[in-house]
Amino acid sequence: MLTRRSLIGYGMAGGLAALRPWRKAEAASPDGSGVTDTEIVLGMSAAFSGPSRGLGIELYRGAAAYFEHVNRQGGVHGRRIVLKTYDDGYQPDPSVRNTMTLMLQDQVFLLFGYVGTPTVTRVLPMLKKFQDRGMYLFFPFTGAQPQREPPYGEFAFNLRASYLQETAGLVDNFVGVGRRRIAVFYQADAYGRSGWAGVRAALRGHGERMAGEATYRRGSKFTGTMRRQVEILKASRPDAVICIGAYAACAAFARDAVDLGLRVPLANLSFVGSENLLKLLTDGRRDAAAARPYTDLLVNSQVVPSYEDTFIPAVREYRELMARYDPRPPADLVKEPYTPFAHSFVSLEGFLDAKLMVEVLRRLGGEPARSDLERAVFTVRDFDLGVIERVSFTPGRRQGLDRVYYTVVDHGRFVTLIDWKARFS
Amino acid sequence: MKVHKLFQKTLFGIFALFGFIGLSTSVLCIYTVDTHLSEEYVSNSRDIAKTIADASVDILLNRDLAVLQSLIDQFVEIQGIKYVYITDETGEFLAHTFVPGIPEEILSGDPRGTATVERSLPGMGDFVEVGSPILAGVAGAVHVGMDTSLIALKIQRAIGQQVYLICIVFVAGVFAALWLVNLAAKPLGELLGFAAALARSREREGGGEGKAEDGAAGERLLARDDELGQLARLFLYFSEAARPAGRGGGAVPARSSDQAESSEGTGFAGGAGAADVPAGSGS
Repeated sequence: MLTRRSLIGYGMAGGLAALRPWRKAEAASPDGSGVTDTEIVLGMSAAFSGPSRGLGIELYRGAAAYFEHVNRQGGVHGRRIVLKTYDDGYQPDPSVRNTMTLMLQDQVFLLFGYVGTPTVTRVLPMLKKFQDRGMYLFFPFTGAQPQREPPYGEFAFNLRASYLQETAGLVDNFVGVGRRRIAVFYQADAYGRSGWAGVRAALRGHGERMAGEATYRRGSKFTGTMRRQVEILKASRPDAVICIGAYAACAAFARDAVDLGLRVPLANLSFVGSENLLKLLTDGRRDAAAARPYTDLLVNSQVVPSYEDTFIPAVREYRELMARYDPRPPADLVKEPYTPFAHSFVSLEGFLDAKLMVEVLRRLGGEPARSDLERAVFTVRDFDLGVIERVSFTPGRRQGLDRVYYTVVDHGRFVTLIDWKARFS
Repeated sequence: MKVHKLFQKTLFGIFALFGFIGLSTSVLCIYTVDTHLSEEYVSNSRDIAKTIADASVDILLNRDLAVLQSLIDQFVEIQGIKYVYITDETGEFLAHTFVPGIPEEILSGDPRGTATVERSLPGMGDFVEVGSPILAGVAGAVHVGMDTSLIALKIQRAIGQQVYLICIVFVAGVFAALWLVNLAAKPLGELLGFAAALARSREREGGGEGKAEDGAAGERLLARDDELGQLARLFLYFSEAARPAGRGGGAVPARSSDQAESSEGTGFAGGAGAADVPAGSGS
């Protein structure tokens, strides 16, 4: 629904679009390097439309806040960071086309902040195809394995923990509180399969098999029904369900599960977009008590710490810069109503991605070249990003962070889960 | 358009013939299209299953299942392919494209088998499923389900086009038949009128009435050099032959000398006021 706030937001976005220093649509650099005397151009293809647009928008906002901050401080070695964005609607084919445009037409310096497994999985072969250009994909918003393993792992750098780590953590914790019959609700694509494989592998480690599984089509909306999926999983009598999907479908599943009496913990991976999930489940409910049945059994894994935890330096910085710049989504890409969140796990991840990206660009020196990128990344050792763990990259390690956090809904917001046994046993 | 009784059976015969041709052609078309398309579909499905199986070996042995899923998702975009699933050597499902879940009919089947089977899945439709072993079966099997409703649709289209053509030919044929029938029927009607005029003139035993009533038509008829003309002249001959002696002249519809000559072709010798018995007529 188009709310007054979103309308105001769009008006502001339109006005600010012309002023945004971190996003300009200039022609490619003359030598095709993506670098001019004044700019370093990064390319981003993400979901800015469709049922998963919240993921692309929030990731962009978090990154834009930090890039804006750096640009106002004079940029990186005097060059401003420009983020050239395209919408792929979380669909593989547009994502491939956007990548072609970014690489061949816009000639960006590198690819940054792609969203989704089915999209990234299809883009990776292009990086190999054009490997003579030395193009790299930095910090995609997906925990899937293809960009972490041969033959394409050498073309990507990841910051976040993998889905294997997230699903293993969820399974271990569920099994730890006696919930051994675990079923999976997943998106019928590469992302869903990646999470499904993670759950399967983790259960095998405990000598268990999946209790049941049900799928949904990518792009399903919250207004759609997931009753059939709930019935399938309910018949398998699970102790818990791990959902591997995007927020619209996972919220629809949680709603129908509660309505059909499937009262077991519902776990979601970090990709889900927790705030959007919670918003869909609580909007329109009479009061907090009416919303509670739909949220009290949720447990979401996260790959960044809680944005409520202001003891963490990076979180404090994130909150400060988000408040100062309040980045708006790209007005030319976002055509559907969307009300941004002041803070979210996704935008915090985008913020941390941007922070590490800037650090890598700094390490490239005054004459940045793609051929030096890999070397620059590998100089990042025990780097303090401001979160709980330090970041290191080596030729054998192309993922910066490993830690997985678990959050539950308490008083209408996601908070860190401390005691699994007290909550779910 | 009036259809003469004499030609009703002919027209019915034409309709029946068209119906038979249409029906037999359609049956043959259905059979041919169904057979060829089914064979082609099964063949294509086998090729696709084999392609996936070959591509899966490396992925299964070295890489993540997300890559395998991405691979089969691309094949499901091909028209006619409705589902793909891959099982390992133990029969466990490793990747599939079913939503909201794997159908019970497939779960209860033999996931390791690679024989071609026909499946009817509730809520999904009818399929031809082909299988292909991965690494000679030791790494599992790929199964591809082709939607048979697409074959049915193609058959319907082929038959529809054929029926459309037959209908056009049929309608054109009907109009052509009616036109031809009427072309033949018109002189017959004239012959009938001529005969009737002769009969009436005999009744009145007056000469020339027949000519008076049907003069122009009679002239045209007697001038024809086909069977109808011959019949008209025969009627005239019999009419004259049956006329009492001494009343012959002038009662016969007028004929020109050349008409009389042309009537020789009938085997009769006739002339104004003379009605000779044809040679060998035996009367």
